[in-house]
Amino acid sequence: MTIIAISSESYRRGREIGEKTAKKLGYRYLDREIIEHVAEKSGISREKLIKALDKTPSVLGMSQREQTLYLAHMEQAVVEEFLKDNVVCHGMAAHLYVLGVSHVLKVRILCPQEDLVREIAEGKNLSGEALQRALKRFENFRRRWSLKAFSVDETDPGCYDMVISLNKIETGEAVNSIVEAAGYKKFKAMSYSIKCLRDEEIASRARTILLPRFPDAKVRASGSTIVVETKGMKREKRRKSEMIKEMAGKIDGVKYVEVHVVNDIFRQAAQSFR
Amino acid sequence: MAQKLNVLLLDDEPIVGRRLKPAVEKIGCEVEVFEDPKSALNRIEEKTFDIVVTDIRMDDIDGIEVLERVKKRSPRTKVIMITGYAMMALAREAMEKGAYDFIAKPFTPEELRKAIAKAAQALGVAVSEGNE
Repeated sequence: MTIIAISSESYRRGREIGEKTAKKLGYRYLDREIIEHVAEKSGISREKLIKALDKTPSVLGMSQREQTLYLAHMEQAVVEEFLKDNVVCHGMAAHLYVLGVSHVLKVRILCPQEDLVREIAEGKNLSGEALQRALKRFENFRRRWSLKAFSVDETDPGCYDMVISLNKIETGEAVNSIVEAAGYKKFKAMSYSIKCLRDEEIASRARTILLPRFPDAKVRASGSTIVVETKGMKREKRRKSEMIKEMAGKIDGVKYVEVHVVNDIFRQAAQSFR
Repeated sequence: MAQKLNVLLLDDEPIVGRRLKPAVEKIGCEVEVFEDPKSALNRIEEKTFDIVVTDIRMDDIDGIEVLERVKKRSPRTKVIMITGYAMMALAREAMEKGAYDFIAKPFTPEELRKAIAKAAQALGVAVSEGNE
């Protein structure tokens, strides 16, 4: 079976296409409703989770550390749903963390300007140059957000299997094209792609456990092995490594933990100047 | 008496065939092992196999060519690709050309048995996965 991840310039149009595609295929539909479940499970408020999806970190607002942790919780919940198969997911940044999974059909929806205007300038009276500036700011913001959160530019068409412009294609035609593509053999699930998805699920689960204590930890998984990279100073390296091994070793499905503590050159430099 | 599945196993690394043959025989399959793709293709011309398990990266003839030749000769045959160079593009190419499954190396004998059991099921033959 195939999983469909939809990313859309306009939330409303992306949701409409996602829901119709799911209905036509008889698949489950996944959207921001899952945030309630994530909030309940993680103890992080719904508002904070939504903020992590809609805002970039800032000095006075949400920190980079907080955003990374909130996104890890949401990623884990989404990938868990993906492992149950037969699902159409709209948004939730899913298209950014399952880039290497071959049975996820990644679709980008480009929308007519009037749709974007309706969402961006809701309640504001923008026109002419001010409106154009707002549209440009919105596009730049999405690029910046995805690069900061996942080091991927979500506006790059190369990230997708299919890019549909609603300027030229009707919603119904877009849905039909996605349904047809979902039937292509190349998007069928196989042992390798399911393993990639499982690896991503274990890695995101490990992130939710390690990040509160080790905010700079980078986690990858392969089978039952997880590899963690973090920064540390001379003396604390061993202690950090042992703590990570102990914490990650308790994660269900993890048999081996490899830890690389690399030199924290900034802290080291700061200490040497004292 | 249960039907025996005919499996051809092709990998240019001798250790792979040596290790996997007994593991696959354990679930009641008859296994022929080849290290040379040309000899394997000659055998495929002579005999119709239920399942072909082939490595992808080999000298002279690669696994994708083996897959195409097998599907041309017998569309019913299920082909399972194994490779140490798994990537999304290669996996999609194999599936598009008719592979039944695609497994990244390293894998356990149990993982291959599971894939074979699934392929057997698709052929309408029941085999146990032989979990230890």
